[in-house]
Amino acid sequence: MAGTGNLADHDPVAVARQFGEQVPHSRDLGMQVLAMEADQVRMRLVPGPELRADDAAEELCTSVLYSLVDSACGLAVFAALRELKPIATLDLRMDYLRPAASKRALVAIAHCHHLTDDVAFLRCPVFSEGLDEPVAIGNATFMRATQGKHFETTASRSDAV
Amino acid sequence: MSEAADPMSSSTLDRDVHADTQATWQSLLERIPYARHLGLEVQHSGTRVQVHLPYRDALIGNIMLPAVHGGAIGGLIEITARIAAQSRDARARRPRILDCNVDYLRSARARSTYAAAEIVRQGRRTTLVHVSCWQDRASTPVAHGRVQLLFETVPNGKTREQQ
Repeated sequence: MAGTGNLADHDPVAVARQFGEQVPHSRDLGMQVLAMEADQVRMRLVPGPELRADDAAEELCTSVLYSLVDSACGLAVFAALRELKPIATLDLRMDYLRPAASKRALVAIAHCHHLTDDVAFLRCPVFSEGLDEPVAIGNATFMRATQGKHFETTASRSDAV
Repeated sequence: MSEAADPMSSSTLDRDVHADTQATWQSLLERIPYARHLGLEVQHSGTRVQVHLPYRDALIGNIMLPAVHGGAIGGLIEITARIAAQSRDARARRPRILDCNVDYLRSARARSTYAAAEIVRQGRRTTLVHVSCWQDRASTPVAHGRVQLLFETVPNGKTREQQ
């Protein structure tokens, strides 16, 4: 694909990935995108001590997992749609299965398991790196194409990829 | 509500109770590294104790709008629920957040966000808290959260941390 600098000429998934890594809150918490494929997005977060739940415990604040899941699910919608129309989180539910150690990196694996014309449904387990059982599971619903009909040319172009 | 001529007016009492709650909440917040990172602070406004999330560029989740990240709003909700539940516990034990469900009602813009908690049920082991978040007016919330928390006990009645 020739790099003319026009957004529509780039792979929308690559653009979304780059975009995802530039989100200020995601950068602030230390998130990185490991993989972005049609069926799943993997994100990693290496926590600093400021992300703990308590001064007296080596445990991550659950809200850090919450932010990671929200970010990974948003990118998974872009990956599944292969288009860059704006989306919005409608709701997100987190189940915290066990405490997450603050000395281990987190890995979230978001999967868009159902799409309708209006809505995307996602599931996203979170793992403490190196452990088999998830520490948390998120379930999210996103609204598609919340605004900005001006993105439509990008969408039709991306269908041809 | 009675307007009876009680020399100790109920509003004075309310103020004392809220000043107390505010101090308790603030001391609980200060022990949470991530709450300090977010810059959360306890305020009280009228009859309500609330948690303030001051705006910073690092909270942005959508550069185009711009809007505060849904995760930052989720964090404000979870931490508000946690300190509301913890402040009600006789031994101020730290509860474990079991689950959290947030409904996003409108986008949170690049300015201050506030949260207030309502304890829906306080059981022997679990506490259910509803949290409302708003920016300009409490009557137009940006998000609603529902958080279930657990006070872990072991057979001898001590918490895990006390063992």
